[in-house]
Amino acid sequence: MNKLRTYPRSLFWKLYYACLVVSLILDFFWLYTHVFHYHFAFQYLPQFFALLGLFGCMLLILIAKGMGVIIVVDEDYYEKKIGRSN
Amino acid sequence: MNSWVHPGLVICIGGFLIPFIPWRRVKQAYFIALPLAGLAIMVSTSMGLFGAIPPWPAALHKWNIPFLHYTLDIVRINKLSILFGYVYVIAAFCMNIYALRAKNDWEHVAAMIYVGSALGAVFAGDLFTLFFCLEIMSWAPFFILLFRGTKKASRAAIRYILWHHFSGVCILAGILIHVHQTGSIEFAHMPWGWGGNYLGSNLMLLGFVVNAATVPFHSWLADTYSEASPGGSIYMTAFTTKTAVFCLITTFAGVPLLLWMGVISAMFAVFMAVLENDGRRLLSYHIISQVGYMVAGVGIGTEMAINGAVAHAFCHIIYKALLYMGVGCVLLIVGTTKFDRLGGLYKYMPLSFWMTMIGAFSISGFPLFSGFVSKTMTIEASELAHLPIVYLLLEGASIGTFLHTGLKLPWNVWLQGMDEPPAEIRAKLNDSAFNTPVHMLIAMGILSLLCLFLGLYPSVLYELLPYPVEFVPYTVTRVFSITQLFIFSFLGFWLLRKWLRGHPTYVLDTDWLVRITGGLFIKFCKVPLIAFGSYLDKQIVTITDTFIVNIRNPSIEARLTPMAIGFGVLVSLLLLSVFLFFKM
Repeated sequence: MNKLRTYPRSLFWKLYYACLVVSLILDFFWLYTHVFHYHFAFQYLPQFFALLGLFGCMLLILIAKGMGVIIVVDEDYYEKKIGRSN
Repeated sequence: MNSWVHPGLVICIGGFLIPFIPWRRVKQAYFIALPLAGLAIMVSTSMGLFGAIPPWPAALHKWNIPFLHYTLDIVRINKLSILFGYVYVIAAFCMNIYALRAKNDWEHVAAMIYVGSALGAVFAGDLFTLFFCLEIMSWAPFFILLFRGTKKASRAAIRYILWHHFSGVCILAGILIHVHQTGSIEFAHMPWGWGGNYLGSNLMLLGFVVNAATVPFHSWLADTYSEASPGGSIYMTAFTTKTAVFCLITTFAGVPLLLWMGVISAMFAVFMAVLENDGRRLLSYHIISQVGYMVAGVGIGTEMAINGAVAHAFCHIIYKALLYMGVGCVLLIVGTTKFDRLGGLYKYMPLSFWMTMIGAFSISGFPLFSGFVSKTMTIEASELAHLPIVYLLLEGASIGTFLHTGLKLPWNVWLQGMDEPPAEIRAKLNDSAFNTPVHMLIAMGILSLLCLFLGLYPSVLYELLPYPVEFVPYTVTRVFSITQLFIFSFLGFWLLRKWLRGHPTYVLDTDWLVRITGGLFIKFCKVPLIAFGSYLDKQIVTITDTFIVNIRNPSIEARLTPMAIGFGVLVSLLLLSVFLFFKM
């Protein structure tokens, strides 16, 4: 129990790719057999949630990195800027 | 009939006794048992031991105390308050186990007063009691921060209390205006609108919104929660913001402004978390984001949305405490939570990794975990209210939550593709997979089980909600869409993971305005204002000196006999009376 182990990498990747493929197939299958009940029309687009996940995630990182140009500063920013008074 | 005792009072007063118990084991047992006493009171209340429910116990009527011209309604129990009460004591129980070995007993006292006053606030039936409890609540974290003993923490404590003074003053002013206008001190739903007639409501709303850390008044949270000790910070995650959500639900359900403030908070905090280098600051931003969901739910205001907000507050307290505990373990053992210094801890702290992952899946709203059964309710409410933009933004915030708490945080702290942590971190670890103290693992274990339990048996939670629930979380559509969303978010993360590595940086937030202006003002006071003051001082001294030298003229001094002075006074009085006579 107390043995030192590293994390199960290969198992994770096998599982992950399996899920990825299965989710892509299931989406097409269930969409065309009318299993889904959504509220908005755009949710019925094929692979909508896959695209939202992938591009939403990447867009999020990109926009944040853009914001970071202005708001990311050195660790001791406030100490330098206002010194002990703060 | 048995007489009822306020659980908040039991915990508050009981907390004060902690430092005076001489035996260490007894002290620890007492500390853990204290929230259980509160839980026992609440369970027996719900079981009807103090009177039939509903209506809620008649035994509470002696808790009405006359005050000025009003009667304070110190206890008012309904479905909403008892639900918050339950989660507060359950969370406090686990937190006490986690923080068992804090160095300073007074930190425990502050924590118990925090829990007790939070219970006081959720059971308050009138605005004065509420304000009183909120004020105590704002001081308890101040002391938790101070007792950490570092300079950074004490400065954060001062910033914390300044923000909460601001919100406290807003709430008090709002209450006074409201009472003046309506003559009622009842803590209940309030009319809201723009304009002078609603000034009282708007001030109260502002105060609650600051307490709920809603954008743009959110920066105090990330700034201060990350400075407390590992044991102290977990208390801070639970009570202040959720009590503010409770207040918003009671008073301002259905205010459209809250919908947009909530949605913007949920999204904005996620952007900030991308840039964050500190594990606890990252989690703090996710408190802001998740409270944004709740505030948005309050803003939508339908029964389902309110249910969603309450359920989410319940689940949130549990998984957020778990996440903070996981990162707190790392802070306690290796002394830092900065991503640029960590990585590869999995080998030495696997259990805390897995339990943090349970918290992370819960906060993301993965099926089978607690966040799924509560977050989807708010999202579904936005769908039913036909708000596609709100829906998309909330889904976007879900992606961000999974990206940071589920991927960025564990990746940077425990994994980073490294089998061994960096040398200076490795030096602080034993050659064992159990570097985390056992009591901490037990606390995290209980919370993990609760996360899973709520995810698997949501009906237990749904029965406690204020409105009847017709919502079924586990439908094929919802489970599939969320799962697919997260599977592909992982792909996005993996492609851009290099960009999410830590760098020794600090992320500026909206408090920049306050801190820099405040700093400049203090600098202005210190240098130019003092210089101007001493210049004026010098000039006045010179003038008086000249004056004194002149009246010291011996010839004048010789003539200053008592008679001469008396004559002078007489003449001046005469002149004054003549002047006044003509003036009249």
